Amino acid sequence: MNALQVRDITVTRGAGPVIREVGFTLEPGRITALVGPNGAGKTSLLEAISGVVPAARGSVHIGDVEVTKHSRVARAKLGLSHIEQGRAVFPGLTVLENLKLTARTWPRVDEVLALFPELDKRRNSPTALLSGGEQQMVVLARAFAARPKFLLIDEMSLGLAPVVFTRLLPMVTRFATEGAAILLVEQFTHLALGVSQDAIVVSSGRVTYQGSAQDLLATPQTLHSAYLGE
Amino acid sequence: MSRAESGPLTRFGVPLVVTGAAIVVGYLFSVGLDGYFVYLGMSAIVAGIALLGLGVVTGSAGMVSLCQLTFAAVGAWVVSGLNRIGAPGGFLVWLVCGGIAAGLVGVLVGLPALRLRGINLAVVTLGLAAAADLTLVQIQFPGTVDGVSVERPESFSDDRGYFWLGTIVLALCCLLVHFLRRTRWGSGWQAVAFSERGTAAAGASVRTSKLSAFAVSAALGGVAGGLLTGQVGLAFPASFTAMQSLALYVLAIMSGAHLIDMAVFGAVLWVAVPELLKRWGVPQDWGFVVFGLLGTHALTTGGNLGTAVRELWRRRSKEAAGVELTAPPAEVDVPPPGEPVLVVRDLSVNFGEVKALSGVHLAVPSNGVLGVIGPNGAGKSTLVDIISGFLPQATGAVELDGRSLNGLSPTRRARAGLRRTFQQDRVPAGLTVGAYVRFVARRRLSSSEITEALEFFGCPPARTPLRRVDVGARRLVEVVGHLLAKPKVLLLDEPAAGLPHEEHVALGARLRQVPARFGVSVLLIEHDLDLVRSVCDTITVLDFGQVLASGPQAEVLANPEVLKAYMGETELL
Amino acid sequence: MLQGALAGLAAGGLYAVLAVCLTLMSRLVRVVNFAQSATGMFGCYVAVYLSVHAGLPTWAATVVGILLGGALSALLGWIISTWLAEADIGTRSAVTVAVLLLLISLSFILFGNKPQPFHPILDGPAFSVNGVVVSQVTVVTVVLSVAIAVGCRALLGRTSFGLELRALSERPTTAELMGIPAKPLAVAVWAVTGLLSTLVISIVAPSQSNDATSLSMLVVPAAAAALLGGFRRLDLAVVGGLVLGMAQGAVAQVDSLSVVRYFLPFLVIVGLLLWSQRKEVWDVAR
Repeated sequence: MNALQVRDITVTRGAGPVIREVGFTLEPGRITALVGPNGAGKTSLLEAISGVVPAARGSVHIGDVEVTKHSRVARAKLGLSHIEQGRAVFPGLTVLENLKLTARTWPRVDEVLALFPELDKRRNSPTALLSGGEQQMVVLARAFAARPKFLLIDEMSLGLAPVVFTRLLPMVTRFATEGAAILLVEQFTHLALGVSQDAIVVSSGRVTYQGSAQDLLATPQTLHSAYLGE
Repeated sequence: MSRAESGPLTRFGVPLVVTGAAIVVGYLFSVGLDGYFVYLGMSAIVAGIALLGLGVVTGSAGMVSLCQLTFAAVGAWVVSGLNRIGAPGGFLVWLVCGGIAAGLVGVLVGLPALRLRGINLAVVTLGLAAAADLTLVQIQFPGTVDGVSVERPESFSDDRGYFWLGTIVLALCCLLVHFLRRTRWGSGWQAVAFSERGTAAAGASVRTSKLSAFAVSAALGGVAGGLLTGQVGLAFPASFTAMQSLALYVLAIMSGAHLIDMAVFGAVLWVAVPELLKRWGVPQDWGFVVFGLLGTHALTTGGNLGTAVRELWRRRSKEAAGVELTAPPAEVDVPPPGEPVLVVRDLSVNFGEVKALSGVHLAVPSNGVLGVIGPNGAGKSTLVDIISGFLPQATGAVELDGRSLNGLSPTRRARAGLRRTFQQDRVPAGLTVGAYVRFVARRRLSSSEITEALEFFGCPPARTPLRRVDVGARRLVEVVGHLLAKPKVLLLDEPAAGLPHEEHVALGARLRQVPARFGVSVLLIEHDLDLVRSVCDTITVLDFGQVLASGPQAEVLANPEVLKAYMGETELL
Repeated sequence: MLQGALAGLAAGGLYAVLAVCLTLMSRLVRVVNFAQSATGMFGCYVAVYLSVHAGLPTWAATVVGILLGGALSALLGWIISTWLAEADIGTRSAVTVAVLLLLISLSFILFGNKPQPFHPILDGPAFSVNGVVVSQVTVVTVVLSVAIAVGCRALLGRTSFGLELRALSERPTTAELMGIPAKPLAVAVWAVTGLLSTLVISIVAPSQSNDATSLSMLVVPAAAAALLGGFRRLDLAVVGGLVLGMAQGAVAQVDSLSVVRYFLPFLVIVGLLLWSQRKEVWDVAR
């Protein structure tokens, strides 16, 4: 089996649980959109999967291996990649250096750069000097270079104009067509659902919808109540 | 359970009685103990005063100071110097002079290390300790070479009498530290150790807080040195080595010297460990090895003896105090919002190539609540940072009540009547709820005023230590403190984060009454639209660092552009 | 004056190497290591003990001492990166203060508090300029300090090991999420700086005041030199070390200024801090 399974996971931060008993499976080649209002606990869920924070209860499985107690590094070696919120570039490293970290070999770096002509032009600039959209592109390219089997993406649109984001979204689809299982957290709900097959809606730490992304798009009331209360 | 803090009688009476008792016990020791123990006890007293000082600078204010005995050497120098020239006043006056001189040296040394964080102070103080070490050996103390020994005061001239004098001085120093920690300075030390931004936002000067802690610590070091000189008669450089300063620092960390009893206990260890080793025939240098090991352990685990002992003591009440916001608040007349009191024009800031905010205009009406909403990353928290003065590189104008705030520091803005709260917890755990509220409010408050405000927001009682208050409730205590400061405007950065969702609306009902009850206008950043809807008269929407819409609540929330920005691309809503 | 300055150059080289170590540690593993020179001192003392009391040849004892210095440093690094992985630089550095105390007092117990009978590894003059003799020790330490700085720069800039270290120092969590093993790399940095400090102290200690406290307190002038490079730049750290050593040597020539010599590192630290903190900056984290 080559899926990533999250079983009844609970994550605690400070006073109380921010994620309560959430479970799902990420299948190769499929994109799952994880949506819900700010403060619903989406980031904490991703962090518990990749090992940034511990899970209070429940378990995480990569293939046949239970990784709940594994370090971040061990999980990464099993093919898990986590793109953090914000623009997680190494600002003092150049574009090439950022890519080399995961690509390992120079031919692979060139392969990846071929997909991002904008970056190729600035390959020797420190990433701190790039625009927000370019920085996010570096992050995506870096993840791409590692050929991850499982990819968690946390709000890559943060602080980006929609037009920039729509340029990045096809790259996510491309990850999936190459066989990666993807969990996509996104505030541009409809754009995210548009490229996803599955969808999970969380609100105040609990799952309020789990099923097909198309069905969710067709029933706006479910989303509406998760976001706007009432 | 009473919500009030203890009355003035217990606040002042108990410490005074304890001090008196300590002095009596000191007298009994001085007449009852064996002569050798009196000598050892005197060494413990000297170490105790030095540790009290370290407790202030490292324990309360969170800075690393590695030259406590250099300050002691300053005290010793002044006392033996004044003795040498036969200055008027006698030993006790010289002792006070020694303390003051050491405090002044502390201010001089502390100044350059203040802006950057603790570790710079460590480098500076170790540098000073190393230099003083070599220098003292070379130049010696006044009177040492010609053998003029320091004259003790007449009534305490024999060793037993001098020991009693030592206990009196130690008890007075403990009393001084006890009361100082309850003043604004003392609260400032706790606050600055936890968060410099939080300190500045409460209108307290970060610089003053750090410098006062360092000066008090150095002065206590000076007194310890002076007292030591009187004990031995002559001051020798070997008593003030950098090595011993390091050991004292480690001991302070390990014992938890910010607690007064633990400073005294640490002093007992300081003397007892080498003494016991000597009796067991072990070289005394193992004493420092033991301190080094225990210190490493304490630092890696983040605990110390003092808190460990207290945890055992208080095991019964481990439950964290939270917020109780069930009942709706009593109705008050909510007056209509008036003219703008806070006006922001053309605010912009870039982080590198990224435009975080560009050309933002907004106005907070007096007696009103302005809501600022927008998707994640729209620049809401950056906006609060700029208005409150934490991003001096930003451009644009901020006017409070017609007066420009441009160029003012966060501390000055807070004092001018513009307060803010933080999204992250910036409430120092070392204080009680009441002490923190008084510190933030910066004005005289009656107990009933504090109790009433805390009850209104469902916060735990004033005497609860903040370390036993959960994160959600801490954030509301922070709000209460700033409201009691009676600022013109309060900027609230997601006050409901950390509260269970069911309590958001209850909090909203209270925030709605804030202008009427406290006379404070509010700018509320919030992502829970239910809360915003129940509180705000007017709303400004930020998107990609720009104002997307602004106006009365109903109008803004009906704007399709706003829905689009807030929910992502949607043609359905 | 010139003679003094050149005499101080050996010490300057020593400061420079230690400053490079401090800078590497602060940049790569978020620690101001107050036990940097104490570790080296301890390794050297063990070497002296082995050659004097155990009869090992000087070179073999020195090699053992250097390896021990590296191992001690690695152990400390392992402790800090295990228990204080997420702690701030202040807490991590405070641990090294306790270790500094520990190492000095241990060396008092094991070796007494008198200077040690070092066998010089290098002895004699290298060449002379205008009648002023420059010793072999001076030449070797100065060359060594420059070589180490250049080598570290190349290692950080050109190799994938260095690339991973830089990534870790900039965003530790992100780097770990990419599968870069933080702890082994950090321990490696600790080990290397431990080796380097012990090496350079072994070379210079025989010709310096070499009691345990003096050698351990070498961290003060080294910190002053590292501050010149803001604890970031290796080249400035080397320059700072060499200049400070020469200045101290020159001042030592004048009897009336001897106290100034002791205070020189402290004054440099204070001056640099005042300069670097002209503007108020609000740290995001605090």
